[in-house]
Amino acid sequence: MKLSIVTPFGKIYEGEIKEATFPGVEGEFGVLDGHSPLITNLQPGVITIKKENGKEEVIAVNWGYVEVTPDHINVLADGAVPVSGSTESEIAKAIEKAKQLIKDASDSDALVATVASKIESAARNI
Amino acid sequence: MATLKELKTKINSVKNTQKTTRAMKLVSTAKLKRAEEALLLSRQYAKKIEEVTNEISLKLSSIKESINIRAFSNIKQVKKVDLIVVTADKGLCGGFNHQTIKTTLKKIEELKSQNIKIRLVVVGKKAIEYFRFVGIEMYEAIEGLTSAPNYEKAAELIEKSYNDFVNEEIDNIIIIYNGYVNKLVQKIHVKELLPIEVKKQNETNEFLEVEPTDDYETVLESLVKKYIEYIMYYTLLDSLAGEHSARMQAMDAATNNAKEMVHQLTLQFNKARQEAVTRELIEIVTAIEAMKKK
Repeated sequence: MKLSIVTPFGKIYEGEIKEATFPGVEGEFGVLDGHSPLITNLQPGVITIKKENGKEEVIAVNWGYVEVTPDHINVLADGAVPVSGSTESEIAKAIEKAKQLIKDASDSDALVATVASKIESAARNI
Repeated sequence: MATLKELKTKINSVKNTQKTTRAMKLVSTAKLKRAEEALLLSRQYAKKIEEVTNEISLKLSSIKESINIRAFSNIKQVKKVDLIVVTADKGLCGGFNHQTIKTTLKKIEELKSQNIKIRLVVVGKKAIEYFRFVGIEMYEAIEGLTSAPNYEKAAELIEKSYNDFVNEEIDNIIIIYNGYVNKLVQKIHVKELLPIEVKKQNETNEFLEVEPTDDYETVLESLVKKYIEYIMYYTLLDSLAGEHSARMQAMDAATNNAKEMVHQLTLQFNKARQEAVTRELIEIVTAIEAMKKK
């Protein structure tokens, strides 16, 4: 299925994916091909994408909407930072930025800490 | 016939104007590049949010039989609308602002003939000046926003209209502006924002779930608000890019015209000089001829 993540500052991600997990307001939920149509709000957290080739990618979002249809997913985020990079320092910078994004968006320390640990563990897999 | 001195001053002044217009063109080109970049970045989001809201309006009837959100309802009788006009703060950009104003006047006539009351919200100094001059009453006049688009301010501006819409004080929001198509073309847009049309669907198996289910109205309402706010912001960006491209074009034309004028004036100047030289020669020759006779 197709996933596209856009923010007011441009497109963050677009492409074919196998599976994705979103931080919905009612809890985390995963989406596979053929999911029933759904629209919900997102809370600060990370979107985990599993690509067709099995590779995982993590994108931190602060707030937004997600619209799921059986063949595509649209994410309208206020801010999003992909945790990726080709060099160590780039990845470190991306992690810093992603953490800052979550920190600014949320006032719950527990949530910030959970998300931060998720970002870090994801970064180890890059 | 103008004297040589007069022509010379004229040529110099035209040359100076040419320098100014050329500089302005360069400035506009640089600014256009920036405006264009911002526009292209936000275009993605604008497109997506429009797509999502349209999809929702399509599948809305599957969520619940009657929906209590005014933005998605059918408004039968339109009594009062908000007309938001966006122009530039600065002139010297050809017909850019005037086109918008002309379209607005037409729209006002059209709405008046249907007995619809209008609240005019004007953004941009040029349109404000115009409406003040012709004495058309403005509900709100905002300066300085078009030259520096800002999401918060754009949201604030449209929020009032949106709240009035929700409270049933107005029945539609119409935005008129001149947008950017490419470096040479601008296009007038007249957008009727609300209500978002509920299209009757043919396929009955289309459905949509909204989470949290017990609070779907809040989710949808906030999405509509976001949609409206973003359209306003996008309008400002589009208008700014359009303004710069229009100014670039206008200044390019002005530079070319000035060049042409300098050419003509130089020809005139040379003619006049030649004439003066010939006249002087004739005077000398006649004087010599006159002296020879003696």
